[in-house]
Amino acid sequence: MNIAGIEFPDNLYYDKLHNWARVEGNVVVQGLTDFGQKIAQEIVFVESPPVGRDLEQGQTFMSMESGKWVGRVPAMVSGKLLEVNEELEWEPNIINESPFEDGWLVKIEMTDAGELDNLWKADSPEFKEFIEGEAEKFKDLIG
Amino acid sequence: MKLYRLETVTWQDSQLLYHALPRLDREGLILLSPASPYVCLGYFQDAEQEVDLPFCREAGIPVFRREVGGGGVYLDGQQLFWQLVIHKENPLVPTGKEAFYRRFLQPPIEAYRALGIPAEYKPVNDIVANNRKVSGTGVAEIGDYIIFVGNLIVDFDYEMMARVLKVPDEKFRDKVYKTIYENLSTIKREVADVPPTEDLWTLMADKFAALLGPMEEQRTVDAAWRAKADELAPQFLSDEWLLRRGRPGAGRTVKVREGVEVRHKMHKAPGGLIRATIEVEEKVIRHVEISGDFFFFPAEALRDLEAALAGKRIDQVEETAARFYAEQAVESPGVTPADFAQVVG
Repeated sequence: MNIAGIEFPDNLYYDKLHNWARVEGNVVVQGLTDFGQKIAQEIVFVESPPVGRDLEQGQTFMSMESGKWVGRVPAMVSGKLLEVNEELEWEPNIINESPFEDGWLVKIEMTDAGELDNLWKADSPEFKEFIEGEAEKFKDLIG
Repeated sequence: MKLYRLETVTWQDSQLLYHALPRLDREGLILLSPASPYVCLGYFQDAEQEVDLPFCREAGIPVFRREVGGGGVYLDGQQLFWQLVIHKENPLVPTGKEAFYRRFLQPPIEAYRALGIPAEYKPVNDIVANNRKVSGTGVAEIGDYIIFVGNLIVDFDYEMMARVLKVPDEKFRDKVYKTIYENLSTIKREVADVPPTEDLWTLMADKFAALLGPMEEQRTVDAAWRAKADELAPQFLSDEWLLRRGRPGAGRTVKVREGVEVRHKMHKAPGGLIRATIEVEEKVIRHVEISGDFFFFPAEALRDLEAALAGKRIDQVEETAARFYAEQAVESPGVTPADFAQVVG
């Protein structure tokens, strides 16, 4: 799905903070969208949180830095933190270069698939409206 | 929102208090300055890679890791800090980092201008005057709050700033010192008569009030705030927190201001190890020194290559070196223009 000139893969879920989630069985892979990396600009540090901890949907659990701004990343679903993309600690700009593939952040073992209903799909009219609004706010950054 | 005009506090409180306030679910603008100097590291930095810890220990200079981003800096009482703690949902908070910085850097910019210093906003998060940085800033998100910190720099100990950093060699330290001196200015350097500190605090409070609205002033740390700061102290002042390992570096970069860096890089080419110290401004090489254990003939041509690279963009290193090789007939077995691009670019 193309919204405001930016691609949002149809098979993913999205939130208001420009994160995406891909469901693989009972595991959710989470990352930052192409739109999100564009407005974050160059990401210079990513924290690798310890795996194994239990997360709740919306709970912040890791940090990343761009523009001297340390921002917190929330879990898109509740569950156990299974895996962290450790490559990002060495090369955080992979998120800028490949946000939907190599730049994934974490994998979470989902405990409640019903929470996916709190997220948007790319073809949702609310999501389209949200992204169009965001695109207007950040038109200087997304080009 | 409250104005906490605390002025001089201990160096520990100059950091702990703003870390404590959002944890009490309170907004506020804190104005303060540390009673004694210390080194302050960014959240993600590796203390052992960034700071000369043995020197700091010997000199009695404490080192602190903050939750705010950015780089390591030497702080003392000649720097007047603002620390704004504002809820993410506060209507004054705009969407996006750049918009946030642009709005909340305006009060210190106005303060500088009131002193006759032509300060202006430089994206993403710098204040510059006559193309020199005049303030250091950074942001952290703690819970539902945005913490925005920065300083008015009355005077700056450039020598000590360069001394506390861990550097690969003294030449690099000298380059860092000179680059910081050329790219960072102070109120003392910009105006003939520096107003009394009391007036500078008032100026800053007034300029922030113009944006934030009238604020009730509090000049002391209340019991709940004191207790929260004391509760945080054991963690934030521990060696475990300070020495938390960051990303191992493949070189050393000191960011002086947005767009200006001094870098030390190494690259193992088939023909030997190449080292370079590079001063970069807006992606253009201002100065480069190359050394190493590789063969380069004639040896004096290496200085000419450095001169050829000066003024070029960092993405033009390989083509510049290739042209230099073609025109100067140099020989460097096992070292190609692409290797120079690795270490300089």
